[in-house]
Amino acid sequence: MSNDTYAIDGLTPNTVATPTSVEGLSEALATSARDGLAVSPAGGRTRTAIGMPPARYDVALDTTGLDNIVAHNAGDLTATVQAGVTIATLQAKLQEHGQFLAMDTPLPDRATIGGVLAVGASGPLRWQGWGVRELVIGMTVVAPDGVTTKSGGHVVKNVSGYDMSRLHIGALGTLGVIAEVSLKLTPLPTGQATITASFRSAADAFSAGMAIFHGRTSPLALTWFSPVAAQKLGRTRKGSHHLAVRLAGRPRTLARMVDDVTASCNEFGPVDTGRVDGAEHEALWRGVADFGWDEATRPAASLRLSLPPAAAGEVLASLESAAATRGLMPAIIAHMAAGTVLVNLFSLDDSGLAAGKLDGVVADTRKLARQRRGTAVLEQAPVEAKRRLGVWDGGGEATAIMRRLKAQYDPGNVLNPGRYLDGI
Amino acid sequence: MNDSKLITRLKKIVGRDYVVHKPDGLIVFEYDGSVDRSMPAAVVLPASTSEVSQVVATARELDVPIVARGAGTGLSGGAVPTQGSLVLSMTRMNRILEVDPENHIAVVEPGVVNLDLSAAVAEHDLYYAPDPSSQQACTIGGNVAENSGGPHCLAYGVTTNHVLGVEVVLADGSVVWLGGRTSETSGLDIRGVVIGSEGTLAVVTKVVVRLLRRPEAVKTLLAVYASLDEASAAVSDVIGSGIIPAAMEMMDDLAIAAAEPAVHAGYPDGAGAVLLVEVDGLTESVEEESELIEAVMARHSPMEVRVARDADERARLWAGRKGALGALGRLAPNYYLIDGTIPRTRLVEVMAKIKDLSAESGFPIANVLHAGDGNLHPSILFDERKPGETERVLELGGRILKLCVDVGGVLSGEHGIGIEKREYMPYMFNERDLSAMKRLKDAFDTRDALNPGKIFPQGVDESQYAQSGSVSKAGPGAHA
Repeated sequence: MSNDTYAIDGLTPNTVATPTSVEGLSEALATSARDGLAVSPAGGRTRTAIGMPPARYDVALDTTGLDNIVAHNAGDLTATVQAGVTIATLQAKLQEHGQFLAMDTPLPDRATIGGVLAVGASGPLRWQGWGVRELVIGMTVVAPDGVTTKSGGHVVKNVSGYDMSRLHIGALGTLGVIAEVSLKLTPLPTGQATITASFRSAADAFSAGMAIFHGRTSPLALTWFSPVAAQKLGRTRKGSHHLAVRLAGRPRTLARMVDDVTASCNEFGPVDTGRVDGAEHEALWRGVADFGWDEATRPAASLRLSLPPAAAGEVLASLESAAATRGLMPAIIAHMAAGTVLVNLFSLDDSGLAAGKLDGVVADTRKLARQRRGTAVLEQAPVEAKRRLGVWDGGGEATAIMRRLKAQYDPGNVLNPGRYLDGI
Repeated sequence: MNDSKLITRLKKIVGRDYVVHKPDGLIVFEYDGSVDRSMPAAVVLPASTSEVSQVVATARELDVPIVARGAGTGLSGGAVPTQGSLVLSMTRMNRILEVDPENHIAVVEPGVVNLDLSAAVAEHDLYYAPDPSSQQACTIGGNVAENSGGPHCLAYGVTTNHVLGVEVVLADGSVVWLGGRTSETSGLDIRGVVIGSEGTLAVVTKVVVRLLRRPEAVKTLLAVYASLDEASAAVSDVIGSGIIPAAMEMMDDLAIAAAEPAVHAGYPDGAGAVLLVEVDGLTESVEEESELIEAVMARHSPMEVRVARDADERARLWAGRKGALGALGRLAPNYYLIDGTIPRTRLVEVMAKIKDLSAESGFPIANVLHAGDGNLHPSILFDERKPGETERVLELGGRILKLCVDVGGVLSGEHGIGIEKREYMPYMFNERDLSAMKRLKDAFDTRDALNPGKIFPQGVDESQYAQSGSVSKAGPGAHA
C-alpha cells in the first residue's frame, strides 16, 4: 500500500510500520519515538477523519497485523483479542458460540477493535445501555518508549488497581497504543425484530421514542431519523419522521416487547407502523451504524452531540432549521436512550461547503448543545473548517488534568500530536 | 506540624461542632470494616463542596494528608487514616440534590446511603442498580471510591456503569467536573479512572447516577445440591443456555451449616451447596428464563428445587444467603473474609483447592460466592485470642488470593486493594504496570496527599500489618 493510503487531513507519513506482534509494535514505536518522530496509530482507518489535523505526522503505525484472537473463553463470556482484529472477524467467531460483543460500529469489515476503542464512540446498539467503554475488562498498552503495560484482567468483576483502560478509550491514541484488550461478551439474543414507525412531525416521532424510553421494554436500539436520513437509508414509507426500535428476547418476551412498543407508537398518531425481521432488520441496522461513514452517505461535515435523552428532542427541530436556513441539508439520526444525536450535513448544490454556511451551523449547534449541558464534536469537516472551528468541544474544567496526563504518558509529544483537544 | 493551627483553621471553615480532635472522639475513625487501625490527626465533617475545597487546600498548606470516608463499611482498609491523616467524613453531605425522571438520572452528594437513593426515586418507578451487601449503610461516595458491585451486578454491572459524572475536589483544592449528565463527553474519560481509585486521586463531592426502570417482575429460584461440583456445573449451564440472570449466588456446606440454625431455611441434611438464582424484567421474560433455569437446575441432580411464588417466599430464599456471614459466629469467634474473582469456568477446580488449603492449614473455610461472575468470598474461621492464629490466617488468605490470580483471576472483585492487599499487587502486575498506575497518581496528586499508602505496595514487611485485612468479629451486620 502506498503511504498516501495513510494520509490524514492531507498529510502523508514518510514511513509506514506494520508490526505483526505486540513486541513488534513496541519496537516500532520505541524506534520512532527515540528519533522524535510523530506517530499516528492506525487500525482500519474508517474514522481517521476524527480529530484536529496532526501538528506533525512522520510514521503511520498500522496495527492491523496484530490480528490474533488470543482467547475466547465462551464459558466465561470473555475474549482477549489483539488490537488489529476487525469487528466483523471477532463477531463471526463469537457467533459460532452463540455470543457477541454488544456494540455496533461503522464499517465492521475494516474497523478494528483497537481503532473503535481509541475513537470511543458508541453505535446504535447498546446492551443494558452500555457504551463501548463498558465492554472492556482489561487492556495492554504500549507507551511511546516501547514499554508494554497491562491493567484490569480477564474477569468481569475487578477492582484491583486503577482502571487504566479508561484513559485510552476515546483518547484517539494520544496516550499510548492499544495492543490487546479483554472484553465482556453477551449471549446472542434468541430472537430479534425491529418495529418501525413514521410520523407527521419530528415531535411526534420523538415523543413516541421517549414513551418507549420510559417504558419497561429495554430495546437494543432506539433510533429517530429525520426525513433526509430516512430517505438516504431507503426508509421511504409515508410520513416524514421515522423511528426504529430494535428488540430482542425469547419468543413470548419478544412478542410482548413488540406489542408494547407498537402501542407506544400508536399513542402519537403514526402515519404507518411495521415490523422488520431477518435480513431486512440486519440491513437496516447495518445502514444506521454505517451512516455518515460509508461512501454512499459520507457527508460534507458531521457533528456528534451527546445530550441528556429528553434534551435531544428539544433541539432536533432547531438543528434541522439551523442547517436548512443556511442552505445545508441535514440528515439527523438520534440514538435516543443514549442521548446521541448525529448531525450529518450535506451540500444542496455543487458549491460545496462555503465557510459562511458551515460556521453558522456549527456555532448554532454547539450553542444548543451547551444550553442543555451536552457537547458537540465536529467529527467530519474539511481541514480548513476543522482548524477554524475546532473539532472538540473542550474538556471543560478537566482540560488541565488531561494535559498533565499527556505529559505523564507521552512526554515527548510523539503520539498523534495536536489531534486531540486543546492542542494535545 | 502544628496541630492546633490545623484545628483552628478547620473550625473556621466548617464550624467548631464539626471538627473532632479529642482522642475519645477519634477512636471510631481509626478503622473501617477491616481492622486495620491508625489514629487520624483529626476528623472534619464538611457540609458543602466549598468547605471540602477549603479543607483540602488548608491541609495541603499545612502538609497534612487526607483520607475521605463514607460510612466506613469498606473491607480492605481503604478508609483507615494512615500517616496521621486528616479524615474527611462525608456523612453530612447526604442530600439528594436532584432527581430527573425525564432523563433517568439523579444528582447526589457522596454521603447519601445507597439504599436511600433507591428509596427516594422509587416514586418514579426507578432505582439505582449497584447493590453492595452493605447497601443499608454504605454511601454512594464510598461506592464510587471502590467501584462497588453487589449480587445484582452480574446482569447490571458495577458502579462505573451507572455513574455518568462526578464533581471532585483535586489535591490542590480546586473543584472540577469529570463527565456530566450525558453518556459521552468530549475528551478523556477521567471520570472512569477516578471511579474505583479508592480515594487516592480526588475527593468526590457530587455524583450523577444513571437510574433504571424498576423491573415489572422478579423470580427467585433455589436449588440444593449434594456438592459444589453439581452447583457449579448448573451455573455454567445457565450461562451456557444464553441467560445472564440478575443474580446467581452460591453457598457451600459450611456456610449452610452456619446459616441453617440461624435462619431456619429448611435445607435438607447433607446439603453441600445452595444455588440461588434471580431473574427480573418483563413478566414474559422472567417466565421464560425461570422455566429454562428450573430445567437446568433439575439436570444436575438437585436434592431439592424451590421457586418463590411471591415476595415473602423470595425473601425467605434470600434469607440463608444474606444471613450466612452473620451466622458464621456460630462456628467460630472470628472470620477473615476474602474477596477474589476467578474465571467462572475455573470454579470447581478453585473451590477444591480452597478445600485442600483448609484441610492443610487446619482452618475451616466457609464459602459464599457471587458465582455468576466468579467473585469468591471464602471466609476463614478462627479465634484471634489464640496466639499466632491471626497471622496464620492472613497468610492463608494471601495463598487463596495467589490461587485466584494463578488461574487467571484477580485480587479483588469488589472490596478494593486498600491496605489489605497492596503487598499482593505484584501477583498481578509487574513493576512497569505499577509504574504506569503510579504516573496516573502523579498526574493528580504529586505530593501523595490523598489517601496515602493505599493500593501500591509499600515494600514493607507484612508482619507490621498483622492486623491487616477484613478480619471480623463474626456476628450480625457482617456482609459481603
